[in-house]
Amino acid sequence: MRVPYDWLKEFVDINATPAEVAERLTMLGFEVETMESLKDDTIFEINVTPNRPDCLSILGIAREVSVAFKVPLRIPACDIKGELPLSDFSVEILNHELCNRYAGRVIKDVKISDSPEWIETRLEKCGIRSINNVVDITNYVLLEFGHPLHAFDADTINGRKIRVGTPDSIKFQVPNSKFQIIKIKTLDGVEREIAGDSLLIWDAVNPIAIAGVMGGLETEVNDFTRNIFLESAYFEPFSVRRTSKRLNFMSESSYRFERGADIELLEKALNRAALMIKEIAGGTIHEIIDVYPVKYITEPVEIKYERINRILGTELSNADMLEILKRLGIIAEDKEDFFIVYPPAYRRDIKRDSDVAEEIARSYGYDRIPSRIPRSPLSLGRLNKKMTNTILIREAMRKAGFTEVINYSFMSPSSLDMITIPEADKRRNVIVINNPLRQEESLLRTTLIPALIENFKYNIDRGIKDIRFFEMSKVFEDIGKPLPLEELRLGGIFYRDKTPSLWKEDTQGFFITKGVLESMFKELKTDEYSFSPSSELFLHKGQACNIYVAGSYVGYLGVLSPEIVERLDLKKQRPEIVVFELNLDLLLTLIPDSIKYTQIPKYPYVERDIAIIVDETLSASEIKEIIKTFPSELIEEVSIFDSYKGGNIPEGKKSLAFNIRYRSKDRTLRDDEVEGLHASLVDFIIEKTGGYLRR
Amino acid sequence: MEDILSLKESFLKELRSAVSLSELQQLRVKYLGKKGFVTSKLKTLSTISPELRPAYGRAVNEVKSYIADEIKKRESLLKKEEHKRRVLSEAIDITLPGKFTPFGREHPINKILSEIIGIFVSMGFEVEEGPEVELDYYNFEALNMPKDHPARDMQDTFYISDDVVLRTHTSPVQIRVMEKKKPPLKIIAPGKVYRCDADISHTPMFHQVEGFMVDTDIAFSDLKGVLESFIHSIFSVETPVRFRPSFFPFTEPSAEVDIGCTFCSGKGCRICKSTGWLEILGAGMINPRVFEMVGYDHELYTGFAFGMGVERLTMLKYSIDDIRLFFENDMRFLKQF
Repeated sequence: MRVPYDWLKEFVDINATPAEVAERLTMLGFEVETMESLKDDTIFEINVTPNRPDCLSILGIAREVSVAFKVPLRIPACDIKGELPLSDFSVEILNHELCNRYAGRVIKDVKISDSPEWIETRLEKCGIRSINNVVDITNYVLLEFGHPLHAFDADTINGRKIRVGTPDSIKFQVPNSKFQIIKIKTLDGVEREIAGDSLLIWDAVNPIAIAGVMGGLETEVNDFTRNIFLESAYFEPFSVRRTSKRLNFMSESSYRFERGADIELLEKALNRAALMIKEIAGGTIHEIIDVYPVKYITEPVEIKYERINRILGTELSNADMLEILKRLGIIAEDKEDFFIVYPPAYRRDIKRDSDVAEEIARSYGYDRIPSRIPRSPLSLGRLNKKMTNTILIREAMRKAGFTEVINYSFMSPSSLDMITIPEADKRRNVIVINNPLRQEESLLRTTLIPALIENFKYNIDRGIKDIRFFEMSKVFEDIGKPLPLEELRLGGIFYRDKTPSLWKEDTQGFFITKGVLESMFKELKTDEYSFSPSSELFLHKGQACNIYVAGSYVGYLGVLSPEIVERLDLKKQRPEIVVFELNLDLLLTLIPDSIKYTQIPKYPYVERDIAIIVDETLSASEIKEIIKTFPSELIEEVSIFDSYKGGNIPEGKKSLAFNIRYRSKDRTLRDDEVEGLHASLVDFIIEKTGGYLRR
Repeated sequence: MEDILSLKESFLKELRSAVSLSELQQLRVKYLGKKGFVTSKLKTLSTISPELRPAYGRAVNEVKSYIADEIKKRESLLKKEEHKRRVLSEAIDITLPGKFTPFGREHPINKILSEIIGIFVSMGFEVEEGPEVELDYYNFEALNMPKDHPARDMQDTFYISDDVVLRTHTSPVQIRVMEKKKPPLKIIAPGKVYRCDADISHTPMFHQVEGFMVDTDIAFSDLKGVLESFIHSIFSVETPVRFRPSFFPFTEPSAEVDIGCTFCSGKGCRICKSTGWLEILGAGMINPRVFEMVGYDHELYTGFAFGMGVERLTMLKYSIDDIRLFFENDMRFLKQF
């Protein structure tokens, strides 16, 4: 709301600097966002919160200023005295529940012309374009009193009759009327279709305005107008809002009505406008027509004095509270232990004790309310278990050299195609946003991978050579319920530039990343993880694996398939880009709750190696599994230390070398005992794998 | 006896010319070995007349231990020299860089988020979470924002359907927690929120931390005390704080909390629009309407709630001027935190 200081001064005697006014208003809850200096005036841009429609006016702001500076409020005289000609208009309200009051005056023989300069200037300062004297005056009063008015060209109104009703009620009024869609051309020249329950203003035949939103073009006041009908009404906030939302159209008028106009002020506003029109455009004011079927009844609020202090933490006396309310113009009646507040019609937001507490608090000054640390008993602050674990994972990733990214939860409809997710895949069960900002952000993501690939691409295009990113975010899957399944995922991408470096590192990226995940699992106190080939279509068929923890599938890890990499249009030839994605919600249910100590071995171990040549299709973990089935309790650990193809190894074969660690819990093993055991293990492996020893 | 003396002398002569550990070892064998000079002298003991035998034997043994001592001394000297030579030859260029994969960085938003959570946990708050896709009921209605309420204009909402939205704030967690638990409550709820808005100071997704406390005797004073402690902890104890009246449908009285501008120290600049103040959070006493919605006795219980934007705090802390940087994920940005 734009408020010229100069206009404000007509309502209150005040000499404070604009900065002082801005400061006081801000501390009363009317944040002055900016101050604009014009020639001899200052315009305050005030953020008026939705609960205070009464302050969407010069009068309302002046009332607050009068409270802040303890100066009286001057309201312009709006009395129309003497005998006036009676109007030949009639008003009928069909929907009392949507229009509690409708008043109007006919003014005859007005001269439509441009407004005087002072009106034009004021409107302009408040951001309203000048149209003609009559229309400008309705806008002037709207700004001044906060009450929207509308002027019709009286001679265009059929039957000199105003009806206020929804299309549905009008239909009811005319039995057997044919159903038709109601349309009205509004002042802006747009033809608008009106829903059956939206409130309209009609003449004897046609709709002539959308109540509280905008007037109709047919009845507009223009250069040819001689007689006018001036409307001042109270429309139900929700009804105006609903209509304005449906039409996707907001006006100065609808903005005020939907927040709540002042039903008691509307007559004053009508008279103020009529008097100004008479003075500026001439004409004869006719007697008021005032249909007021639903009278405003103030709803008294009963509050204990002690309650106010309990809400605020203050020690205000009863007299303090009553004094503050009096200054606010709110009638309060003292009843010893409690008091009764009668909110004025422009303060329909005051409904209960807490509302009164706020009125008292803001006038008293929030800065004067003491600060204290809550007097509640000590309680244990803590992170929940999931959060503790996610912090652990985040730290593990970070220490492994991965930098955290955060991407939007949105994805493009093409994202899943880009990574060739099949049609029947769960990841296709996407949640669609009805009103996205951009088409590329119209879905909620079901996988973190597309965004990570974009992060990779963005950075590599900017010359970043080593990319290790991880993200911990939710994905969303439509499961046919009102709310989707939300699942916390850990995703990551790894890429390393192969340009020469000081220290050689020739481990494949796949294994580096796999090592990071293995190490993370260990950090989560689990050894029960395993890997098997993955069939994710966007991963390299020979370099991808599914990941299992405690036997459950938790995600995958792999090198991006050459096909996907080609689409990225990179300068590098065949870069190795590794990605992974884990379901953390599941993973965190699979890890042990607590740590249990096991005794440190008392006796030494004995190590033996075995190098064996097997079919290249046989995996290292399969051989490990075979060794595990060997019937001896003395094998403590099996680790692979070499995997080799080529050289003197025959085609289709590979050499694998394992280190076996033997240990007994209760004695030192003898050499000859281990020799014997190892020899039979070697025979066992050869027999089970069909391989042979490498000499 | 002369032969023993000459033995000693020839040993000393040879010792002086032994310059390596292996030469010294040869010397040890030559004199003290099984067939060495000293050993063979001892073997001839029986051929010596009995009256001379004790003196001769003593003399041989003295020479033996003398030789052994000398060899030992010489040995330790030679070892020292050899270590010295080896160390010199193995010198490396210690100015070459070390080899370690540098730690990755925490996203600045999560860094500040952890800090915020840490402060409230230290004040006895517990952490709760809620869904990011939320029912209209929890996001609006139960927070005293019925359909067709103008307060809904304060937040541009992404809709999934008429009844399902992307949560526009973390406040629905208040309702979800209060439906499940009874007071006393001290809760914070961090998370992502969404609004359809995008420019230099708005992104369609951002992070908030909701906090609330409900008990039989919680007042606006407590809200002030808790938030002032928080602000002094995350910024500094000198940071000026002010509470001013505002409006949120789910709190009454409501407040907005400003801190003295961190860019100009309150003198007035472009960032604070010359006011000297920067708004950092919204707060208030939980509206009794909200307690009614969750079935709490609003005569018995009072409580406060607050919500803050994590991006905003992060931008103020690190003097970042464009919110979009947080989601561009440019390594050159991320590595600074």
